[in-house]
Amino acid sequence: MQHLGEVLARRKAAGEASLLVYAMAGSVPEERFLSVVDALSEAGVTGVEIGFPFSDPMAEGPVIQRAASEALRGGYHWADLQRLLRACAERLPCAVMTYLNPIVQRGEARAVEEIAAAGGSALILPDLPVEALRPFREARRVHRVDTVLLASPATQEDRLATLVRKSEGFLYLVSRFGTTGLGGGDTPSTRGREGDLAPLLQRAHAIRPKLPVLVGFGVRTEDDVLRHRRAGADGVIVGSAVQALLSDGRPVAEVVERVRPLVEALHAPLLPA
Amino acid sequence: MPEWYGPYGGAYVPETLVPALRELEVAWRSSRRDRAFRSELERLSHDWGGRPTPLYFAENLTREVGGAEIYLKREDLLHGGAHKFNNALGQGLLAKRLGKARLIAETGAGQHGVATAMVGAKLALPTEVYMGAVDMGRQRANVQRMRLLGAQVRSVEHGARTLKEAINEAFRDWITNVQTTYYLLGSAVGPHPFPSMVCDFQSVIGREILRQSRARWGAPPDLALACVGGGSNAIGTFHPLLRTSTKLLGVEAGGSGGPTAVGSASLTRGRPGVLQGMRTYLLQDAEGQVLETDSISAGLDYAGVGPEHAFLKDSGRVEYTAATDTEALSAFHALARTEGILPALEPCHAIAEAIRRAREMPKDARIVVTLSGRGDKDLEVVGAHAAPR
Ligand SMILES: Cc1ncc(COP(=O)(O)O)c(C=O)c1O
Repeated sequence: MQHLGEVLARRKAAGEASLLVYAMAGSVPEERFLSVVDALSEAGVTGVEIGFPFSDPMAEGPVIQRAASEALRGGYHWADLQRLLRACAERLPCAVMTYLNPIVQRGEARAVEEIAAAGGSALILPDLPVEALRPFREARRVHRVDTVLLASPATQEDRLATLVRKSEGFLYLVSRFGTTGLGGGDTPSTRGREGDLAPLLQRAHAIRPKLPVLVGFGVRTEDDVLRHRRAGADGVIVGSAVQALLSDGRPVAEVVERVRPLVEALHAPLLPA
Repeated sequence: MPEWYGPYGGAYVPETLVPALRELEVAWRSSRRDRAFRSELERLSHDWGGRPTPLYFAENLTREVGGAEIYLKREDLLHGGAHKFNNALGQGLLAKRLGKARLIAETGAGQHGVATAMVGAKLALPTEVYMGAVDMGRQRANVQRMRLLGAQVRSVEHGARTLKEAINEAFRDWITNVQTTYYLLGSAVGPHPFPSMVCDFQSVIGREILRQSRARWGAPPDLALACVGGGSNAIGTFHPLLRTSTKLLGVEAGGSGGPTAVGSASLTRGRPGVLQGMRTYLLQDAEGQVLETDSISAGLDYAGVGPEHAFLKDSGRVEYTAATDTEALSAFHALARTEGILPALEPCHAIAEAIRRAREMPKDARIVVTLSGRGDKDLEVVGAHAAPR
């Protein structure tokens, strides 16, 4: 079982970029989920972020919202997540991404302990502010589950410094003003605008040179990967682009075809834009 | 301005919103001390809004009930037909000050949407209102009013398609357009500074009650009641009365009362959790998934509640209870019959409870109920139920 934060740090030190894939637990049958993870692992993906569905996912666009409500409609539970996580963690380093309330109701310490027991090594909560990190700190010391913080193009300098110092495992840099998803939507809530990430990435690296910074939200093409790498990202996170295929019932091979060029773009030499 | 009410409140939001919430807090702190801002707010509240609203002795209702005197704080007479005006105007002026180019809002019953649309028109700010598809169906008159006032109404089609989903969608819009857009949240809910700011703007209700009751009988009321959805008319009623000896009572929606229905009574039937930026009481399952609620009144049909109410419940200063759909409907008819007033279904929950309490109190005791809105929007819903005999 590999620790996600350690793998990312090792790759960063070796000058290799990383790619995480996000998928919603319970949005497809477990067997299919695992065969996708197997195929992704073979294709060279670095790790998996397993989404645990929440009824009110404030930061998600339509694709992940739909995946979450499908999972909940199917009666997906925390116990199911633990089983899935156990199986996934044998294949790739794993993080759990959800919202604060399911974790609070489980009890922060107990939730983290259970994630660790199932082989997960990071927890990502988009509605957890850095000010409320305390209950997770202690749990991390005991169970080695990193609490990954998010930063955004809206984040101001002093706040970024705090986030960089307090984030564990890596820093999740949101690429744009907006929710997760493919962008280019035609309603005001899906029309996200990408931020200027290079200055943020530079600052983050200057403050804590060893902390990997991964860019997510709206990543779907090789160009996206290359652009974020050029801006200074240590890797990217692909979510909705993959989830859309899973939710549509596309074959595993198609998911891999979608991800493979992105993995290749991790290794492509960086030419100036 | 408090961010925390005991363990409740806070600002549990995606990082993209953090700077906007800071900016809002700073602007609000300076505005509330600013004489020009306050006199503009007062002038428009008075001339455009119709403040102060009367404290009305419901003599016939009192006689029929045969107990304590029942007084109504007439927020239904405010421009737009509900207390929502107080908050929409205050925040609209703040949005203008911040130089924002666009207003967004959520709405349940449509009253906050109407108030925001009015303010958008008055202040020349383009306005978009998110509203659950179910609510658009049951509060059609308000959808039409918003449109006539120039606002765009955006139908929210996921989940239970009511207020909670409308708030989620408004937050998603704000996350996306935060640099240009002001989110005019309509109740004392959400992340800091919204709950305390909304409480500030709504506290005019309680201040007037205090002034009017002192002028009338020389003391605060013995009991004050308000309905609790997100809790803005209730906190506005209660806040100025917290330091008096007035007993305070918040009334939530008990819903249809069916065996599996949870109603919308987050304080009476829920437990603490985190939703939509705040730590507060929620109706949720064992794993923290938020439940679908039910209420005859779209404005109370919500699984959460403002964090200050959560604190006031725990501290025991305010009592919270619930009234069912049926009880609210009979209060509607009682008020129509005895006083010639068609109330909104939301405050009917408080009126139902006031009637119950009045019977148990001495005749010289005085009860004030905040009549938070008028009933024009609910004619179809009320019409669909048979009037009680
Ligand atoms: C007339 C009226 N009263 C009460 C409410 C409930 O909101 P709050 O609890 O914030 O006062 C609404 C909400 O739409 C309303 O329209």
